[in-house]
Amino acid sequence: MAVQQDPSKVQDLYFFDEASPFVTGMHFQSECPPDKKVKVEDLFKFSRSRGDLQASIVAAMIALFFLAFFWTQTGWDKRKLPDEFGIYLAHQFGLVDIEGRITRFGRILKQSWIAPLLCLVILVPAALWNLRASWKETAWRKRFLLPTSAYFELTKYVAALEFVAYFIGYTVIVPILGYLLSTLILGTFLTWRLGYRGPRWVLTGFVSAFAVVLAFRTFLQIKTPLDIWLYNQLPDAQRALMLTYF
Amino acid sequence: MEAFLTGFDSLMQPGVLLAIVIGSVGGLIIGAVPGIGPAIAIAILLPATVFLDDLVSLVLLLGVYGSSMYGGAIPAILINTPGTPVNALTTYDGYAMTRRGEASRALSLAYSASFFGGCFSIIMALVALFVFGPYLRDLGALFGQRDILMAAVLGGVLLIVAHRQTMGLAALLFGFGFLIAMIGRQSTRQIDRYTFDIEYLYSGFNLIVVIVGIFALSQALNLMVGKDDDPPEARITGGLLSGFREIAGRKIITLCSAIYGTIMGIIPGVGEFVAQFFSYSTARSLSKEPARFGHGSPEGLIASETSNNAVPAAAMIPLLALGVPGEALTAMMMVVFFDAGIKPGPDIFENNPDFLFSLFIALLIINGLVLATLLVSTKWIAKMVYIPNRFLGAFIMILSFVGVYSIRNSLTDCIFAVVFGFIGFVLRRLEWPLVPIVLGLVLGSIIVERLTAGAGQIKSAVDLINRPVSGTLFVMILMVIGFIIWTSLKNRRMNYQN
Repeated sequence: MAVQQDPSKVQDLYFFDEASPFVTGMHFQSECPPDKKVKVEDLFKFSRSRGDLQASIVAAMIALFFLAFFWTQTGWDKRKLPDEFGIYLAHQFGLVDIEGRITRFGRILKQSWIAPLLCLVILVPAALWNLRASWKETAWRKRFLLPTSAYFELTKYVAALEFVAYFIGYTVIVPILGYLLSTLILGTFLTWRLGYRGPRWVLTGFVSAFAVVLAFRTFLQIKTPLDIWLYNQLPDAQRALMLTYF
Repeated sequence: MEAFLTGFDSLMQPGVLLAIVIGSVGGLIIGAVPGIGPAIAIAILLPATVFLDDLVSLVLLLGVYGSSMYGGAIPAILINTPGTPVNALTTYDGYAMTRRGEASRALSLAYSASFFGGCFSIIMALVALFVFGPYLRDLGALFGQRDILMAAVLGGVLLIVAHRQTMGLAALLFGFGFLIAMIGRQSTRQIDRYTFDIEYLYSGFNLIVVIVGIFALSQALNLMVGKDDDPPEARITGGLLSGFREIAGRKIITLCSAIYGTIMGIIPGVGEFVAQFFSYSTARSLSKEPARFGHGSPEGLIASETSNNAVPAAAMIPLLALGVPGEALTAMMMVVFFDAGIKPGPDIFENNPDFLFSLFIALLIINGLVLATLLVSTKWIAKMVYIPNRFLGAFIMILSFVGVYSIRNSLTDCIFAVVFGFIGFVLRRLEWPLVPIVLGLVLGSIIVERLTAGAGQIKSAVDLINRPVSGTLFVMILMVIGFIIWTSLKNRRMNYQN
């Protein structure tokens, strides 16, 4: 049953509509103070969110992929190991004595497959351990009827791909239009695309893009392509100026 | 003394001084804008350092590193949003003081505590260089390849252990970073590792491309697909100078917090969070009003701000002394050392003592400059809080392009940066930690490099740990692992009994 609030205090509270996961049609309201308290323990607390299981499966598959290619992609086929490697290893840990000349351990450590092996020793068990933990968490969430669908996360990934496309488009047009013009176009367009469509915001986007060019290209002289189609259409003096500063 | 004067002299060049000013003021602004943070700023600036003088590059990055936490306290105190993650504890008492109408007092306390913490660890480092300088020069002989190798392994173990609730994930991502560092043609034997006959991969991934992708581009995507915050209006009235008088009245808490920050900064993989927790807990136990902690206690604010600002100078010590970075920001600075051909490590005390003095004196200047800037311009810097997140995201993306493309004008670099950016974006959405990837990259490279270089002296496996330093470090590794296993078993038993 909802508790009646003093109307003068209500404006200081946020109300959230919530629903019980167990009983359909039973909505209620909860409140929290207007300052969303930053909880330091939240920085350390880790809870697996939606999409975690799918990501853990991909991570485990990547780890197993690299494990599968260990034998062909790390120089393992060109390895130089002593005969009876098991006995040699036991000797390294002082478990057995070997007579005669013994291969230096350093000669083995220098080989190209050692570093990937060390890496896989960390990566593969960790990926499988993580997958197990994520699997258990998902099973727990299902049991308590908590959301497990990764659809929402997927929509965010797709939304991000749009900006990835703009970034790649930008890298393609820089050698054609030059750094200055491309940056001004992208800076202004992104400002508009993100919903800041008033003239003040569009101008801010334009000026900020110009400031980036001035700071990085004109002042810090960061390298950009030398063969720019648009600059090549300019007379020599202007072309040199544009190539040097913009 | 001669090294000190030479170090000071090398800072007095116009380019270096300009880098100090740009780094400090830039870091301050970046820290004050929630959503950017020093890691992203350093990732964006890294490519620019390729074209700058070594000292100018390092001083620029140090400026960002040393000043961002000062800036991060502003939104933490005024609008309850930490500018950088390490300012989270500042909101506990800082924002509560703002709600009581004491915003200026809270800001003043934060600035003076930060200044004290920052200067304390720098002065400790400088004193150590003066007092132990002649002995530190002999460190080079004491530290061989195997010792640095063990230090790097210990750094990796501590990093994974520090992610207490997500050790599996931290190990996975550390391994992923390590794997990225492995890809390419092995220089000594010309054998390809995981290149799959792709020409681009023969030279391996450029560290800067990976770092810009994982840290900067991923955050740009994250901000652009997210929503803008609507921070409440904050007003600052009154002077900002009273804090020094107030921290002088709380000497023990301030000093303890600075000591915690310095010690925790030195230990690889530990950093600001743990330092803050130790100092906050200690301050609460020392306080006459422990109940006020979390509800606007000036002592709580002093503890958190002093300790987190004592960390940057201290974190430079393992980086410079052992060549082993302890956390993401120093790992990124390591990339500057790689590019400059400088090998930080014990030999630096013998070969470049003036360089060490330059860095610490620069940090001291940065702290002074930041404090002066804050005292006169807090009102304007506080306005940065209101820049919309998605607008920021767009410009981080544009800046990331400059960084990646300028390295070698390669479209392929940009494509790979986007791939790593997208991976970083997914990890951010899942709240998986990103720091282990960068440390995996850097520590992985160090481990392999030292293992290969030291292989000539290793006759048997025991030779890896039969030196005094490597043996001690190996015992420490075993102790850390043993402690974790013991506490896990203990927790499991307690859970079972409950």
